[in-house]
Amino acid sequence: MENARMKFYCDESRCIECDGCSIACAEAHELPAGIARRKVITIHEGIPGKEVSTSIACMHCTDAPCEQVCPVDCFYIREDGVVLHDKEKCIGCGYCLYACPFGAPQFPREGIFGSKGAMDKCTMCAGGPLATNSHHEFELYGQNRIAEGKVPVCAAMCSTKALLVGDAESVSNVIRARVAARGGKGFNSYGWDKAYKNQ
Amino acid sequence: MRKYIYTLIALLGFATVAFGAADSQIWGEMRIQNILGYGQEESLKLGAWFTFLQSKYFAWVFLGVLIGVPTVFFLHYKIVGQKVFPHSHNKHYAFNLFHRTIHQVAAVSFMVIIPTGFIIVFGDFFGGGTLVRMAKNLHGIFTIPFAIVILPMALMWIKEAIFNLEDIKWFMILGGYLSKKKRIINATQFNAGQKMWYWVCILGGLVMILSGAMMFFMDFKIEMLHNLTGLSHIDMLRASAIIHNVMGFILVAVFFTHIYMAAVAIKGAIHSIITGYVEEEEVKFLHNAWYKKLKEKGKF
Repeated sequence: MENARMKFYCDESRCIECDGCSIACAEAHELPAGIARRKVITIHEGIPGKEVSTSIACMHCTDAPCEQVCPVDCFYIREDGVVLHDKEKCIGCGYCLYACPFGAPQFPREGIFGSKGAMDKCTMCAGGPLATNSHHEFELYGQNRIAEGKVPVCAAMCSTKALLVGDAESVSNVIRARVAARGGKGFNSYGWDKAYKNQ
Repeated sequence: MRKYIYTLIALLGFATVAFGAADSQIWGEMRIQNILGYGQEESLKLGAWFTFLQSKYFAWVFLGVLIGVPTVFFLHYKIVGQKVFPHSHNKHYAFNLFHRTIHQVAAVSFMVIIPTGFIIVFGDFFGGGTLVRMAKNLHGIFTIPFAIVILPMALMWIKEAIFNLEDIKWFMILGGYLSKKKRIINATQFNAGQKMWYWVCILGGLVMILSGAMMFFMDFKIEMLHNLTGLSHIDMLRASAIIHNVMGFILVAVFFTHIYMAAVAIKGAIHSIITGYVEEEEVKFLHNAWYKKLKEKGKF
C-alpha cells in the first residue's frame, strides 16, 4: 500500500475569519506568548472580488524550501509528507523563514542577548523526533495527536470545516464534492499550488 | 554618512528592545505582505532566489574558497617561495600604538568571526546543536569590537589607501610576487594589494555588519529602510542573507591573502604591525615611493 500524503486545505469560501484554529492550536500545544503557529489572514483586503480570508501555517510543502536551506540539516520529512524539525539541532539562524513562502517559521527570543532561539512551527500535530508522547516531546513540540489517532486540533476545531487536513485523496474528495455542490465555483485555496505543485 | 550608519545600528538595537508580538514586522499584520511578496510577478522573487542559492551553491563556494585560496598560496610558497629581506638594517616606526591597537582588535574579531562563520556554513557537518549555536553567538558577539574599530581604522588609513596610477603597474605584475627576483616596486606606504584589502575590509565590513545585524535582530521596524529600498521586511532579510554570503566569499578570500602576505610571503613582515617598526630593506624594495619620501625627511 502506498503511503498517504498529508495535506492542509483551507476552503476560502467557508472561512469566516473566526481565528478559532489559531487559538485552538496555541491552547493545545501550550505555545508561549508571541508564537502563533497558525494564523488567519485576509489577503487583498478591501478589493472587491479579490478579498479572501484563509488560515495559514506550515503547509508541509512537497519540496519544502526550509529543508533545502537549513545549514544544520535539522529538518526531516516523514513518509506521509509531514515536515518536522529537530529543535535540539536548530541554531535559530532564520534561513528557513527566508525560504518559506508562507512565513511559517517563528523564533522566540532567548537569553540575555536576545538572540533567536530554536525555530517553532506547525508540526501537523505530529510532535518531533523525541520519544512519541513523552513529556520532553510535548515541551518542545506540543501534542502528538497524530500518534494518538486524532485529527490535528486546528481542523478538528474549525467551526465551518473550512480547514481540512488528511491524506491527499480524502481531502480532494471532500473538496470535489463541495465544489460540485457549489456549481463548480470556489476551487481556490491560497498557497495550495505553491505547496504541493499540483501533485 | 558614517554618523548615519551608526545611528542606524543604534536604532536597530532599540527597535528590538521595545518589541512585542503585536508589532511584529514578520508574523503580525505584515505577514500578509510578506507572504504576497514571495515569487509574485512584480516582486524580486528573493525568496526563491535565496532558496536556490543557499541550497545549491553557497556552501560549495565557501568550501572552494576555504580549500582553493590556501592551495594557491601553498603552490606559490613551493614554487616562488618567500621573499627574505635582512632585518639588521635601519627601522622606521610606522605604526604607533593607536594604529596597532585598532588593527589588533579588528584582527582578533576576524579570527573569531571567520572560523565561526565557516562552522555555521558547514553546520550539518558539525551536527548542529550546541557547538554550532555557540559559533553563531560568537559570530555575533565578536562583530561588536569590529564595529567599534572599523570607523577609526577607516579614517587612520584612508589617505594611504587611495588608488593612484602607479597601482595599475602594480596590478600588471601583481607586485612582483610571481617571480623570485627582488625588484624595486614604486609603491607608496600601501601598495595596490594592500589598498584593495583596505577597501574590501572597510566597505565589505560595513556591508557585513549591516546585513548581519538585520538577520540577527530580524524582527524590527525602521520605516526609513522600507522607503529607501522599496522592499517588504522579509525581502530585506532575504537580500541581507544573499549579500552576507556573497560578500563573505570575497572578504574571506582577501583575508586569507592578507594573512599569507604578512605572515609567509614576506618573511617576518608581520612584526611590523606587532612592534610598529618596518624594515628599511623591505620599504626600499616593496614601497620605493614611500622610501624616497622617508629618505628626504631623513627618517632612515
